[in-house]
Amino acid sequence: MSYDDVEIEDMEWNAELEAYTYPCPCGDLFQITKEDLKLGEEIARCPSCSLFITVIYNMEDFAGDNDRNKNLEPTKQQPVAVA
Amino acid sequence: METTKEEEEEKQEVWSWGAGTDGQLATGRIQDEHLPQLLPCSLFQHPISNLSCGGAHVIALLQGGKVLTWGRGTSGQLGHGDLLSCSLPKPVEFLQDFVVTCVSAGWNHSGFVSDKGCLFTCGDGSFGQLGHGDLKSQCTPLIVSSFASRHVKKIACGMRHTLALLEGPSGDQVYGFGSAKRGQLGIPYENVRYMSTPQCTRGLEDSNIVRISANGDHTAALSTDGHMYIWGRGFTGTSDISYPQCAISSTSLSQMALGWHHALVLTGNGEVFMFGGTRHGVLSDHQKTSMLKKATRNAEEPNKIIMERVPGLDGVKILQVAAGAEHSALVKEDGAIMTWGWGEHGQLGLGSTFDQTTPQFVSLNQRDSGQYTSIRVYCGSGFTYVIRTASPC
Repeated sequence: MSYDDVEIEDMEWNAELEAYTYPCPCGDLFQITKEDLKLGEEIARCPSCSLFITVIYNMEDFAGDNDRNKNLEPTKQQPVAVA
Repeated sequence: METTKEEEEEKQEVWSWGAGTDGQLATGRIQDEHLPQLLPCSLFQHPISNLSCGGAHVIALLQGGKVLTWGRGTSGQLGHGDLLSCSLPKPVEFLQDFVVTCVSAGWNHSGFVSDKGCLFTCGDGSFGQLGHGDLKSQCTPLIVSSFASRHVKKIACGMRHTLALLEGPSGDQVYGFGSAKRGQLGIPYENVRYMSTPQCTRGLEDSNIVRISANGDHTAALSTDGHMYIWGRGFTGTSDISYPQCAISSTSLSQMALGWHHALVLTGNGEVFMFGGTRHGVLSDHQKTSMLKKATRNAEEPNKIIMERVPGLDGVKILQVAAGAEHSALVKEDGAIMTWGWGEHGQLGLGSTFDQTTPQFVSLNQRDSGQYTSIRVYCGSGFTYVIRTASPC
């Protein structure tokens, strides 16, 4: 069974992983790629354990051209080094 | 008779087990451990007075007020001035000149309170959970300036939100910042996703709050007269609550511990109760969990928080409880450690990866538990620590 149902707006875009992510209780991250979402996949898996979540989103938001998709990416803030 | 400082210091044993791939077990290795690992005491320099375990990092508050951190550091949550993870304890240099009195580790952020009442935060700030008025992350502790003229007493960090307990003009006040979507800040604004500056939590003005707690999207507070308030995300089968709700008013409570989908409370009599624990210990059993989901959906009173006595502890007095994201731990009166819940990463310390629905004994090397003056258990998301302190010889 799905561990949780998570709205896409609550997931974070991780540029390094090229995936939308959400915290997994094991300490790692549930992950789903934009390509998966485009294909209608709604399961985000954690690479470290057996748990998975169901992602709630509108498939149409990911079906269009890339320019439209860019607007959906939450900006991932980078940590600021303070001396 | 004069004794040297070294002789005066208490002797401590620090044990860790569970998920370890970010270095959070302080073993120097990046791997899970299914059995308790005894860590060399030289790692910690001074006795540990408190430990806080987050998503995959740990903060140790040492006697004397110095702070060590280790584990995942990729969001700056270790406060070392970089974005590196660390598999061994390392001092937070920035805090060297402060006497720290309270620490808290969230999913990917950290909070530190000094004896002068200043609050410092670092790590992931994407949801405003650092309280600096922006969504920036910080890799060195930064003072929360809106509390500059106030005295902060305690800090509690959740998944994406933070809670602070402050001295007020007439009694202490609770403030929250960070993610607000599930009601976890307890603020009177509708449809707010996050707050990047501290907001006063409503409804606790006359409650004499002494303890605050945050984990996942849950928040809780305990009052001097033993009432527990809960707000934030609903537990399995209940809806979110955007204001502090008095969950228990008839029993006096001494401790509380929050997970991501459950909460533990310890009464003054040493009895343990659990909220929302319908999936606790059956997470890996897909057949059982699907049946549970149907059952909870049919519940007649969707907002009622169901509290159940933890099974298998009849007549035994419990001294302390701790909760990870999906596992639980407790210390019995005789000093024994018990764990239950999700076990996939060995976080139960039982030598396997099985889940457990009832508390099971963890085998640390057997010595006369009477020699310990204090035995404490701490849980991170998927890992566990035990600290046993023996009186000086």
